[in-house]
Amino acid sequence: MLTVELALAGLGVGAIAALAAVGMITSYRATGVFNLSFGALAMIVAYLVWQQVRVWGWPLWAAVLLDVGVVAPALGLVLERFVFRGLHREGAGPARMLVASLGVFVLLVGVATLTWGTQARLDPPSIVPTGSVALPGDTSVARGTLVELGVVIAVAALVAGVTRYTRFGVRLRAVVDRRALAELAGVPADRVAAAGWAFGSMLAGLTGVLLAPHLRLDPYGLTLLVLETIGVAVVARLASLPVAILAALAIGVGQSELSRLELDSWGLIQALQANLFVVVMLVALLVLPRMIEVGGPDATRAATRIGTGHGESAPAGWWVPFVAVAAAPLALGAEHLRIAQQVPALAIVFVSLVMLTGYAGQISLGQAGFAGLGALFAGQLMSRHVPGLVALFLAALLVVPVGLLTGWPAIRRRGLTLALTTFAVAAVVSRFVFAQPRFTSDAVLDHPWPFEDERAFYAMELACLGLVLLVIRRLHVSRLGRMLVAVRDHERGAAAAGVDVSSAKVFVFAIGAGVAALGGALLGMGGRAFDAAAFDPVLGLVWFAAVVVFGVDSAAGAVLAAGLVVALDAATTAGMSTIVIGALAVLLSRMPGGVPATALRLAAGRPAAPAEPIPVRLTPLGRTLRARVRP
Amino acid sequence: MPIALSVTGLRVRYGPIEALHGVDLEFPSGAVTALVGRNGSGRSTLLNTLAGLVRPSAGRVLWHGVDITGWPADRRARAGLTLIPERGGVFAGLTVADNLKLFADGGDIGPALAAFPILGDRLTQKAGTLSGGEQQMLAVGRALLTPTKLLLLDELSQGLAPRVAARLYEVVTTLADADRTVILVEQHTGEALDRAEVVYALSRGTITFRGDPTEYHTHPNATHRT
Repeated sequence: MLTVELALAGLGVGAIAALAAVGMITSYRATGVFNLSFGALAMIVAYLVWQQVRVWGWPLWAAVLLDVGVVAPALGLVLERFVFRGLHREGAGPARMLVASLGVFVLLVGVATLTWGTQARLDPPSIVPTGSVALPGDTSVARGTLVELGVVIAVAALVAGVTRYTRFGVRLRAVVDRRALAELAGVPADRVAAAGWAFGSMLAGLTGVLLAPHLRLDPYGLTLLVLETIGVAVVARLASLPVAILAALAIGVGQSELSRLELDSWGLIQALQANLFVVVMLVALLVLPRMIEVGGPDATRAATRIGTGHGESAPAGWWVPFVAVAAAPLALGAEHLRIAQQVPALAIVFVSLVMLTGYAGQISLGQAGFAGLGALFAGQLMSRHVPGLVALFLAALLVVPVGLLTGWPAIRRRGLTLALTTFAVAAVVSRFVFAQPRFTSDAVLDHPWPFEDERAFYAMELACLGLVLLVIRRLHVSRLGRMLVAVRDHERGAAAAGVDVSSAKVFVFAIGAGVAALGGALLGMGGRAFDAAAFDPVLGLVWFAAVVVFGVDSAAGAVLAAGLVVALDAATTAGMSTIVIGALAVLLSRMPGGVPATALRLAAGRPAAPAEPIPVRLTPLGRTLRARVRP
Repeated sequence: MPIALSVTGLRVRYGPIEALHGVDLEFPSGAVTALVGRNGSGRSTLLNTLAGLVRPSAGRVLWHGVDITGWPADRRARAGLTLIPERGGVFAGLTVADNLKLFADGGDIGPALAAFPILGDRLTQKAGTLSGGEQQMLAVGRALLTPTKLLLLDELSQGLAPRVAARLYEVVTTLADADRTVILVEQHTGEALDRAEVVYALSRGTITFRGDPTEYHTHPNATHRT
């Protein structure tokens, strides 16, 4: 039975989600970027209002007017000018756009943490009236809910009106569709795009001001809540605002009604109720194979291609310093060694991303989920007295089928949709498995026999990393590796050349999941416990950013990234690595090929393009062919 | 005849490679000019430079006597210099009506529909779903709505049925009048040469022929005619 009271209560949550989703969709369509930092922008504006009203004693209306009307759009302008304009001009695909927006997300959270600390503020000022309105039949609905619903509908109507019926709307859509062509059509693309960003950020600010009173104000709460409502945007296929509003309300009501069901011993209903938005995100992504993405055919074709520096053959023995640096921690004391143990484990997870995204062009934001499953499976096996080494590799094998399941949707999805799908898988796994004590409380993780000693365990990790690097390297230069690159660069072309694209994609996801699981299991064994927070889906986003920033098709870059992440967090405060990665990600448009490639280029003082053609060593067949072509 | 667009000493570099080695061109106002060149001749580079999408490393571009070398693409477009790029100068994600409205200053899309009636039946369709010929008609149709003074057409007929191509050439050549200049940029010389009053041939980044279409056929440098 549905009850009216619960439904009305659920409308409150629904209205909030609708606001966030409408803002995200509008900002996506106005800028062409699926902005993961939307929630972070909302959070910053909410904090500003709190600061001005609660600390400085400004009148509420003045603070809101200033922050939503001026500060938020100005932030949008800054983002457009310094982060995204360069990427748009290059025609960067969704992977780099996502990473850049992730960089903004992380930076804003970092700034908020530095400025206001992590403690929650309980008194964000509210601009909606309190109290409730009585309805017939002894029920009532909160006044605030009605106001919020009104705002959502008004915003949606305004957006629809502007995009459909004004010249600016057509110009904005033209810029998002094909920027260069819009310039040829006399549209000042930079200015129009800036206006789109200003408007999108203003909506984020409005969302923040309206949502903050419903939550405690801290750097993460609002930011993550908005990430959850991605599901609503996905149901609307990133396009339809009315569908988004209805879906948000339906989920809100559904969540509320679920609370009436009897609690079951599995805890499934509670988990479902608490995480309905995440579940809807995954289901919607699986049911709807295609979003209505913006950008012309060029943009979608470039979707999975990631600009990388020019590959050059490395000098002989280039790996010697790596081995030396990797072996150095063996001389450290036990305490430092325990920190150093995270590096090879994390490097293995990162290398799985290099294979998936760098070599095969498949975006995966969900590696944290696979890594966590690896740790959990290993822990479960060890608690059943399976020898540690067996548990380690068995856990990695067991995660391979999960990777197969995730790879299956990848057959038909690419770019942004695939990225969101993998993120949804990680989020669901995190909420329904990692967060359930039922699955995690009895997991036992420890250094496996015969590597109980800290030094021995570290050496074993290095061996695993070496093995993974070797396998990946062999894979990359093999026929299969060439097939994967072909799929990355031109799916149809690869299919026409006889590559079984579907199998290749599923295969690479399965192997990637297994490798990530191995890394995750090592991470867990190093820490001697299963820590759900170590495999949070948001952390998976940061990992992806780290790998892209350090050169997505460079395994050496991945190892370097892992070292930097661990070292920064150990040497300064936890979370510092995230801020550094964020800062680097924001600068991505200025660093083609990632940090190491850019550093090498700067060090060598060469222009971006190779000055001379790279000498090619021909095979006998090649020589024969060339002789025929150029006698 | 007054000169609409003139180019002097134009050089364009892509990193270490120079694609145009000092090109001098003059496009007479109100005429149809053909610019022919094979793949790799620097044809697209020249066009993109004229439209403002590529910055030259040396040389000047004059538009009715005004130096526009430093102007960005959108400013040139507003000044009346329109490039219709090779294959699909349309916004695939926008409807046909929106594609036209983007260019129609007063909102009147009548002239485009009059020239290509088929577009009238497709107004609410996304431009990306049109056939190649219809997309090219849409691209040319848009140019009819703007106060275009100079129309640069890159490979107008590429991949199109002969009948469709003929119709497109007919429309664009009638566009050329005292006020408007048309430049046909082609790889193959057939149709464009028949319509043009002046011909330029570009080869390996330099102009190898300039003059009358009838002379072109007998010119020794016109090696690449097909």
